[in-house]
Amino acid sequence: MTSRHDHYTPQPYDPYAEEENASTWFNSNGQRPSQQGYAYDDQYQAYEQQQPPYTAAVPQQPQGMHDDQPTYALRTVRYQQVPDEPGYHIPETPEAGWEMAASRRRAWVSRAVLLCILAIQAALSLRLSNTAFQDEALYLAAGHAELDHLLHGTEMPRDYAAYFSGSPQLYPLLAAIVDAKFGLAGARTLSLFFMLCTTGLLYSFTRRLFNERAALAGAALFAVLQSTVVMGYFATYDAAAVFLLALTTWIVVRTDRAPVIAVLLAAPVGVLAVGVKYASALYLPTIVVLALLTAWPHKGGKAFARMVLLGLGMGGLLAAGVYTTDLMAGVRQTTTDRTHGTDTTEFLLEQTVKWGGLMFLAAVGGAISYVRRSRMNESPLALHLGNPGWRWRALLGLVLCGTAVLAPAYQIHLGTVVSLFKHVGFGLLFAAPMAGVGVTRLVGAHFRYPQLGIMLWTAVLCLGIQQADWRFDIWPNSTKMINAIEPHVDRKGNYLASTPEVPVYYLYDKSSHGQWHSLFGMEYKDEKGKYYSGDEAYKAAVKDGDFDLIVLDGLTNPRVDDIIAAAVKGNSHYRLLAEIPFRNANGTSEYRIWIKTS
Amino acid sequence: MRTFTRARTALTACLLAGALALTGCSVLGEDSGGSASAGAGEAEAGADSSASPEADVPYDVVPLLKPGKKYFGAAVDGAPNSMAAIDTYTKMVGKQPNLIEYYAAWGDGFDASGVRNAWREGAMTLMSWEPFDTPVADIAAGKSDAYIKEYATAVRKLNLPVVISFADEFNGHWEKWGTKNVTPADYVAAWRHVHETFIDVGASNVIWAWSPNIVNPVKSVKLKPYYPGDAYVDWVGLIGYWTIEEDGAFDSVFGATRDQVRTFTKKPMILLETAAMAGERRRADIRNLFAGVTADDDMLGFVWFNHKKRADWRLEASPLALKEFKRLAADDSFGFDVRKP
Repeated sequence: MTSRHDHYTPQPYDPYAEEENASTWFNSNGQRPSQQGYAYDDQYQAYEQQQPPYTAAVPQQPQGMHDDQPTYALRTVRYQQVPDEPGYHIPETPEAGWEMAASRRRAWVSRAVLLCILAIQAALSLRLSNTAFQDEALYLAAGHAELDHLLHGTEMPRDYAAYFSGSPQLYPLLAAIVDAKFGLAGARTLSLFFMLCTTGLLYSFTRRLFNERAALAGAALFAVLQSTVVMGYFATYDAAAVFLLALTTWIVVRTDRAPVIAVLLAAPVGVLAVGVKYASALYLPTIVVLALLTAWPHKGGKAFARMVLLGLGMGGLLAAGVYTTDLMAGVRQTTTDRTHGTDTTEFLLEQTVKWGGLMFLAAVGGAISYVRRSRMNESPLALHLGNPGWRWRALLGLVLCGTAVLAPAYQIHLGTVVSLFKHVGFGLLFAAPMAGVGVTRLVGAHFRYPQLGIMLWTAVLCLGIQQADWRFDIWPNSTKMINAIEPHVDRKGNYLASTPEVPVYYLYDKSSHGQWHSLFGMEYKDEKGKYYSGDEAYKAAVKDGDFDLIVLDGLTNPRVDDIIAAAVKGNSHYRLLAEIPFRNANGTSEYRIWIKTS
Repeated sequence: MRTFTRARTALTACLLAGALALTGCSVLGEDSGGSASAGAGEAEAGADSSASPEADVPYDVVPLLKPGKKYFGAAVDGAPNSMAAIDTYTKMVGKQPNLIEYYAAWGDGFDASGVRNAWREGAMTLMSWEPFDTPVADIAAGKSDAYIKEYATAVRKLNLPVVISFADEFNGHWEKWGTKNVTPADYVAAWRHVHETFIDVGASNVIWAWSPNIVNPVKSVKLKPYYPGDAYVDWVGLIGYWTIEEDGAFDSVFGATRDQVRTFTKKPMILLETAAMAGERRRADIRNLFAGVTADDDMLGFVWFNHKKRADWRLEASPLALKEFKRLAADDSFGFDVRKP
């Protein structure tokens, strides 16, 4: 575009134009421009002052040898000088009609949209309902036990640190305090708070990495994922861990232009995330690399120092944590040396694709598109910005998208689907900025194809709702089971249950975790001192009437269920207390409860 | 620009195809899973319409197995289907019975409304289930399974405690299912089979009373071979009457049977059917009855057989004995509201 009119361009007829031109000339601000008229005027005046006034008479002839008649011939008339430039001037028009930099209005509009996204996320989470899942029950009961231990010195019923996948002194304690005051709904709402903060932080650091539009799109996709919706109403340490990871990332991105040392602020938060849930450590390398990438365009080589500093800071704190606490055994059992499952790679891939495939695809699309073209704004001014090179962009895309596949890859290696849905969400938190870019590219400049973005988001939303509902429906509602056994539970009994954590949590005031046995491994010594283990231990213990209550759900461990049901049949110690049918996401089953009567 | 648009169209197509594939996957997955489970659900619903998740928590009969107070039972004509006779009996003896016995033939439907009537007045129903026309061996062989299942389903659906005594007085030669026609093995097999069918249906609200006649008239018949096992029995119900043939001491009537039963089970006992023959000794017999039941902690109570059958066992037949019965029944340890044991 150019502001100069070198030639005549026909303009559409404007009935007001003449009038306006005739009177005065306004710019788009409705104000009189400061420099009206033509610069030529001034030049002309200066010229006039320099020249003697021109007198309109016959010029004087030089008087010489030729006394001749005065003549006008052969005389050079001094010609009035005209500048090369036209005597008028058109003011510089800005390249773009809007500001590219953030404005207050834009910030508020974005925040309003973010608020809508958070409201949708909260609504999706809050509509889920079921009794406590066994993991929730376990962590809450453990938290209560820790609380009693701290406040009243009560002995811990179990060594939770030995088999928890996060520190029992962090999240479980916090959740138990909330649970004591507000019950399970309160503890779940705490998770919702964490997840809403996570979405907010995701918006904030994506905005800083790219812009508001990508941030809103990324947050909108992340907010409706199954992982986000379920973790947002699930009293386990996942929500707290993902929040702390988001906070660590946010600090790293936020301090991109700050002095290098500021990045150390992220180290304790990241290590805390690992303390809350050991598997969070998987995502720390990504954050360390982000420390380099985010600072590179601003600081150049100093960015490496940032990365090294953060890496050392986190490493040092982690090492200190490992040496000062006794959590390593739990880390080994639940995270690093976890027993391998039997789920096939195809099955795990299928589940991963179902739970996060669409958003991951959007992220990969965004990354590729970002590598090809870095411009993130319609404004032509964006063209002049010093954009990071394609290598940097490719690296950022690779790091963010690559992080999303870490957990599924590790779980495929382990062959277990347990907790995969949560870990898909952990990874997609990092891929979300790229997914946001993907959506903005899909929608195009000037919102050319909004329907594409809406379609993508609606698809993710539908999948998220359906999967979250299914997820919350896979365990049976335990209310009736708890009602049935409650009168028979006391502090002396010895109990066997498919999911002992659930009665341990709901009947925390009536019994202790030490009294409850699960279907996953047992040791038993009979009266004669004979030792049994595994299935034989269950058979022998049931034969001897060692359990006062037996609660089977037919779901958790059907193989052992059958062994125990067979041992109870015809057993003179037991009587069927209740058979409680239930329907869950996978069909129907029933609680079978036996009580020892003789 | 055009290449870019094309790339975007391709990307969109990929995304949408992905979305469709995903939703398709889940829809298909749901369909296959859903139909299988729906089939199972229907099968279950067909067998047991109460087996819906909405059904209440099954009634917990455990507190009724050995309550703190004694059962004060009665068998009167027409009850519990009509509670009028019970009301008359209550007026007569001054206390509401909390265990009402009635007799049903094998093949009869379950009298749920009777059980409900009794329950409304704080009494539990005891059903004596008598296989008049069906051989016990056939029951053991599963020939009556459809009937048992239907019956058990009805019992479960009612979800109130019921005492069932199957083929009582099996050790007597006078019953069709007695020693003349049925072997102990068949008897035990039939009992277990009925019990297991009830358990399979989930009818945990039944208290199973194994009910021999007192051994006095049939001393040669050993009880142990007829015992199905502690896993299948909640109560040992003794059936015995005070008659003029023997002396009126409690132990003379029930002692021998009790001692024999105690050699193979410790399950609590109840006098499932008892009464004293009218006559001069009746008052003393009634005193012995109350004293004997009170003295034994393992004796849960008794059911007075207030019928005129073979003899006139009705209390109203002898006013003096009735007066004594009324006096003893006033004791707080007899009778309680079964709804709040």
